Amino acid sequence: MKVAFLVNDLQLSGGIGVVVRHARGLATHHDVDVSLVLVRDWDLPHWSGYDDLPHLHVISLEEARDQRFDVAVATWWETTFSLFTVPAKRYAYFVQSLEDRFYEHDQAERVVAGLTLDLPVAFITEARWIQRTLAELRPDSACHLVRNGIDKDVFASPDSLEPNVADPLRILIEGDPTVWFKGVKDAALAAAAVSEPRRVTVVTGQPEALGADVDHVVTHVPHREMAALYADTDVVLKLSRVEGMFGPPLEGFHMGATCVTTEVTGNDEYIEHGRNALLVDWDDRTGTTRQLELLARDRRLLHELRCNALATAHGWPGWDQSTQFMALALRRIAASRQPDATRAAAAMMADLRGGMEQYSVHLQERLEFAREAAKLEKVKSLPGVAQANRARQTRFGRLAERLMRRLMGR
Amino acid sequence: MPTWQERITRDTEPAIRVEHDLRYRYAQPAIAGAKLWCDLGCGNGVAAAAAVPEGFGGEILLVDVDAGALALAAQELEGARTQHANLSDPGDVAKLAAELAGKGTVVTCFEVIEHLETFVPLVEMLESLKGATVVMSVPNDAFWATENPHHRTMWGEGAFAELQSLLPEGHTVVSQLQLNGSAIAEDGDGRVPTHFLASWGGDAPPAVRDVVATDLDEQRDWVRRREADLSFYRVAYEQVLKEKDELTKLVREHFARFDEWRSYIHELERRLGLPLSGVSADESPRELPAASDDA
Repeated sequence: MKVAFLVNDLQLSGGIGVVVRHARGLATHHDVDVSLVLVRDWDLPHWSGYDDLPHLHVISLEEARDQRFDVAVATWWETTFSLFTVPAKRYAYFVQSLEDRFYEHDQAERVVAGLTLDLPVAFITEARWIQRTLAELRPDSACHLVRNGIDKDVFASPDSLEPNVADPLRILIEGDPTVWFKGVKDAALAAAAVSEPRRVTVVTGQPEALGADVDHVVTHVPHREMAALYADTDVVLKLSRVEGMFGPPLEGFHMGATCVTTEVTGNDEYIEHGRNALLVDWDDRTGTTRQLELLARDRRLLHELRCNALATAHGWPGWDQSTQFMALALRRIAASRQPDATRAAAAMMADLRGGMEQYSVHLQERLEFAREAAKLEKVKSLPGVAQANRARQTRFGRLAERLMRRLMGR
Repeated sequence: MPTWQERITRDTEPAIRVEHDLRYRYAQPAIAGAKLWCDLGCGNGVAAAAAVPEGFGGEILLVDVDAGALALAAQELEGARTQHANLSDPGDVAKLAAELAGKGTVVTCFEVIEHLETFVPLVEMLESLKGATVVMSVPNDAFWATENPHHRTMWGEGAFAELQSLLPEGHTVVSQLQLNGSAIAEDGDGRVPTHFLASWGGDAPPAVRDVVATDLDEQRDWVRRREADLSFYRVAYEQVLKEKDELTKLVREHFARFDEWRSYIHELERRLGLPLSGVSADESPRELPAASDDA
């Protein structure tokens, strides 16, 4: 079987990492001829972070267009733009998150990313919540569940855990603070506010954007070092607003760290409040600090949660098993009929209309803001106001303004 | 303590044996009407032999990777055909597929998938068998987080959901539960009682039958909490002992310093011809606390 996975690039990241793991496993153990198709030309020399990719073909879109595949798989919403230009018997879409949620409500990408779920393709996804959502959105299309595995060699669990009886609570936060839905800044602030003895470590590529006083900042951490960091951690703190399969805490579980987290999508795959982790409310930084303080004070509870987290990790499959399911899903897709394009088109047009209506609302809002702004501009340009404004910019004007404010008690 | 005995024999622990027997009993109505019944991973054939319906007129095909087990299975089920096959091997599976396709075939595949190096060929074959009835099972390892050394893959709710997403439309799923608890029965149902209850008088409870099953979720929590608590309190106790030793050392140092100081004072008092202070019984230093090693 010949399979093409379409990727934007091969930079080291969670989503790409999952695709590469499956691609490697399929090629090595399941006799699948796998090509990673880079849909952006400029990314060709930029793939990094992987020691080597034996048995895999890394090819450009042009090269892929000269071949014929059994299944071509989009792996990120933007890669669907190129999906149907790759000759294949069947088309599939590996959905790792509902990617429209990565964008703010008025960004055009949000609508388009959502529309890609209406394509006439078979779906593969890595989390049950996405599978359930897709089943509702696209009952006409097959959706196979292939959960991500965990690299059990890298995240090699200890046989037992040493309780942290008296040392400061070891808190780990990971993620990019400049990505709004990761909640890293909030997490750092919540952890920094813990009044009990604690040691906060943040793993991030953007330390300057953190804006909180933490004990350690670590950048550019490869997987093995990440495992060592988790092993030296009591609690992983995640305040994400959007997650797919929610991998990082699970990696922490493997190394004996519990988790304090929001009820973000994907948490229900393995998080059990009060058993192996603690859940906190949205936007409740104080509540999050209190939960961390609870763990800092109640070391028996902390140890129980950590032990149960480790037990949860024991029950999670490795990549070999995960890739077996990926092989089965691809074989099933290759042997099945392509989903009905008419029904897919109907769903897409309905969503497109919804998107247009949403766009009209946003446009209307912007026009209203523009009108308000124009009115203000008109007022500002009136002779007296304009002069007053100019006067305010002078040294005397600024002094006078300060004096007036003081006199008015403001 | 788990025995990790994966081959069912007549000597297998009754609690495990009954699980296997029940799965075969579950498939029995389907087997009864089969032209061909194929038991994949039949092992010694003990459970399969007990499941053959009375008057079964169909053909029986027993499949296993272990030639020794197959020979025993052939003795258990006289007249059954046996076939040696590695169900991870696409070639072996393809040979079986040709034989099993068709109406009237019933395939049972209990507790096999988790033992395979790869379950891809087998699952693909089972889900594509046209006209055949398939009854299969996998364990719930993830619930107990057991790492069975014989299992190559880990099965639980999540993994089963993955498998389900590949099964043919219209498939049914049932759960096999472990019954563990306590029952009160008038006649004991012919089982050995754990306790004897007697009552009399006007308000004596009527002769009732009552069953309370153990909540396995709660049981798991209880077991894990106990283990976590034990390890926590062991370390906490060691920590307390360590702190106690440090304190004892500190107190000993204070006492030593006190003795030095007293000797010095006594020396001065002797030179000055004064009575020695601190020699009455109530001024004597108390006995030193014992270090943990002495305890």
